[in-house]
Amino acid sequence: MADPILQIRHVSKFFGGLAANSDVSFEMELGMIMGLIGPNGAGKTTLFNCITGYYPPSRGDVIFKGVRLNGLQPDAVCRLGMVRTWQKVKPLAKLSVIDNVMVGALLRTRKLSVAREVAMEQLHVVRMEHKAELAAGGLPIGERKKLEVARALATKPELLLLDEVMGGLNPAESDEIIQLILDLKKAGLTQMVIEHDMKAIMRISDRIVVLNSGEKLAEGGPREIADHPDVITAYLGERVE
Amino acid sequence: MTVFLQSVISGVLVGGVYALIGIGLTMIFGVMRVINFAHGDLLMLGMYVTWRAFDGLGMDPFLSLVITAPALFLWGAFLQSAVINRVLNALPQNQILLTIGLGLIMSNAVMLKYTSDYRIITTSYSSASYMLGGLSISQPLLYGFLITAAITAVLYWFLLRTDTGQAIRATAQDREAAQLMGIDVRAMSVLAFGIGAALAGTAGALISPTYYIFPQVGGIFTLKAFVIVVLGGMGSVVGATLGGIIIGVTESLSAVYIASGLKELVVFVLFLALLLFKPSGLLGKTRA
Amino acid sequence: MIARPPRGAALLWLLVGAAAVAFLVVFGLVVKKPYVLHMGIMLFQAILLGQAWNVIGGYTGQYSVGHAAYFGVGAYTTIMLLMTHGIAPWWGVWLGMANAVLLSLVIGSITFRLRGPYFVLASISVAEIIRLAALHFKSFTRGAEGFLLDAVPSLRVLGTEIEFVGKRPFYFMALGLAVASVIANWAVERSKLGYYFQAIREDQDAAHALGINLTAYKNVALAISAAFTALAGGFSAMYVKWVDPNAFSLPEVSIPIVLTVIIGGIGTIAGPVVGAMVLVPLQEILRNPKGLVQVGILSSDSSVVTFLAPFANAHQLFYGILVVLVILFAPDGVLGVIKSSLRKGRRRREARPAAPAAPA
Repeated sequence: MADPILQIRHVSKFFGGLAANSDVSFEMELGMIMGLIGPNGAGKTTLFNCITGYYPPSRGDVIFKGVRLNGLQPDAVCRLGMVRTWQKVKPLAKLSVIDNVMVGALLRTRKLSVAREVAMEQLHVVRMEHKAELAAGGLPIGERKKLEVARALATKPELLLLDEVMGGLNPAESDEIIQLILDLKKAGLTQMVIEHDMKAIMRISDRIVVLNSGEKLAEGGPREIADHPDVITAYLGERVE
Repeated sequence: MTVFLQSVISGVLVGGVYALIGIGLTMIFGVMRVINFAHGDLLMLGMYVTWRAFDGLGMDPFLSLVITAPALFLWGAFLQSAVINRVLNALPQNQILLTIGLGLIMSNAVMLKYTSDYRIITTSYSSASYMLGGLSISQPLLYGFLITAAITAVLYWFLLRTDTGQAIRATAQDREAAQLMGIDVRAMSVLAFGIGAALAGTAGALISPTYYIFPQVGGIFTLKAFVIVVLGGMGSVVGATLGGIIIGVTESLSAVYIASGLKELVVFVLFLALLLFKPSGLLGKTRA
Repeated sequence: MIARPPRGAALLWLLVGAAAVAFLVVFGLVVKKPYVLHMGIMLFQAILLGQAWNVIGGYTGQYSVGHAAYFGVGAYTTIMLLMTHGIAPWWGVWLGMANAVLLSLVIGSITFRLRGPYFVLASISVAEIIRLAALHFKSFTRGAEGFLLDAVPSLRVLGTEIEFVGKRPFYFMALGLAVASVIANWAVERSKLGYYFQAIREDQDAAHALGINLTAYKNVALAISAAFTALAGGFSAMYVKWVDPNAFSLPEVSIPIVLTVIIGGIGTIAGPVVGAMVLVPLQEILRNPKGLVQVGILSSDSSVVTFLAPFANAHQLFYGILVVLVILFAPDGVLGVIKSSLRKGRRRREARPAAPAAPA
């Protein structure tokens, strides 16, 4: 494998006495989709937070494009080319839809006109151009999620981290997102996806990492994981098809 | 050495009263997450009620507490149900501005009625003091401290041993959970604000024999109350108690060893330092 | 920047603004009563201060209730440089602004890691520390006595000598400063800075993760705000010709600034203008109901004057009442009220195909 784009090496995160992440290691290659799954409280969002610099890992290393990220602030991480979406979606409520995406685009340009063009492109990708001038705070949940993806894409990332982007969406909306993720992969974007929707994860992931109680329980291709006895036990009978 | 001890003792005595102010403010924050910038003005109202009782009825300031405390309690309960309750879900910055506004209304209404003239309450013991081994202990401060200690003890008993007190603490810890348990969180908020106001008013009454009384006196006490509460930890009654004493002593020592005119400045600098380095205070729960 | 208005609106505002300025210029040339000029000066100063505060409070969402710190620094620097070193105020005020910017960097580094109400408290504390220091260190600041100026030196510009005698020159200077502040705000709103400031206000964590250096941008916002606030302080020092520690006062300076913006409508360019138009007349009428008599609006035995007389020093009472009313019933200020009634009217009149769902 050529140099992996992301390396997670023995990452642990402690909050007081609680180990939210415990010695997690895995790697991601350019252009792949990595699924990150696990029961509630397994430490998935904590891992995202450690990777993106929301807080530094207590132990271990996060290496992105050969650069050791530990302790780097989230804005620097984003500038390097890694961007995330949030489990509890965070629209810039009083700003319009297009202004939201422009905030993302302004990372790479100072000119508003250029940012506006980039923003419209991304809105086109998520099929929300017609909503460009509406206030983001008034959107229903499905569109807020799409908006957040568009905004993240406007930063021209090389690695996109999606935190339960399908949470709260109906099947039609979920399908739209799945298609979007696959299209982005075709365009060369590397992605890590936290999801509870097993069908979706199986469909889109090249590899899956399973976390449980902060530790890495298993790693492998979708079929391996679906048949993995420990994984099935961890989910306590949830059918992994 | 005597100067030092003297200073510490005065500081502790005043600190006890400061603790009352701090406890009231921290309870309000604990139960409602509201930062009450009008707290000092509630103290000021307590001072004026005490002064009217003294001037008009000839009542001793410590005795007129039976009027002052309930009066401030009712006023606080009214403020909560009529005004504060409406902004519990507003931006915290707006809440502060609202309470700043309430404070302005109170202090200026008093100024209109009674003018800005400084008032004083001179009792028979106002300048008297006990001598204890070379140290002079101010009588009014001592009585104030003893009453404070008694009130604090009753308050702790109330919060720890009675159903209502525990309901208040439950509301402070987790409003939603308390509601699910059947606690009337709205009533608890009214109660908490009422008690907070009563404590502030009581503090005002207790220091009235030794302080000048004027409408703008609330401002400096509000800020001191905040230092106390942040020092002790927002929401912690025990913390506010400790914080009050610490601030009292700090102020007293600053007045003696630095400069009397700078003692307030020192308190503010301490406040900033706290906000920067230990915003959760000594015993507090919330992050700044 | 709620749902961008159609492009024509910007041009309309420009025309309205230009017309207003033209009117005010003519008004200033024609008006005779000094009291009216004084009201104008107070109005323009309030607009300047409101626009300045708006950058950090309205756009960036950091409610500083201690802006008097910068006002006072501007005022003291300007007057002290003039009185003790003979430096003309048009140079001195630049130094005042520089001082304020430096101060803002210090204050920012201390307070910006605090969120919401804690930031408010810290900003108040800083201003109070400075005020108490100004009171105490008499050898430097002349304590409570302050600095009293005889006269402002005249300004030589393009061969003409402008004498700062009477109110008229100050009227035009204040008007110019107010217009400059409006233009500056307008420029900020339409720049990367404006977008980033508002992103920080809306959601700091999201902004951070989108590549925005929170500290840097907050500092820039505060520096801009501090500079313009100090400018107002310098101007005030020259107009009133007296500076004392009350320049750092919470109820006299910091609170009215915040009030102006909140009443008008926070985070908008028109907000401080509207707010100033509400607050300044109220303030002046309360402080000096006889002023209305002077201008001939009221007769001297009018019941309004008798009613207001005892309130002469209680303008703060009305600030308090206004704040409470606005926060309870109209937290987006007068502009917010206007916008929502327009929106309700529009919704009733036409059915919009892509109307947003009820906000979650």
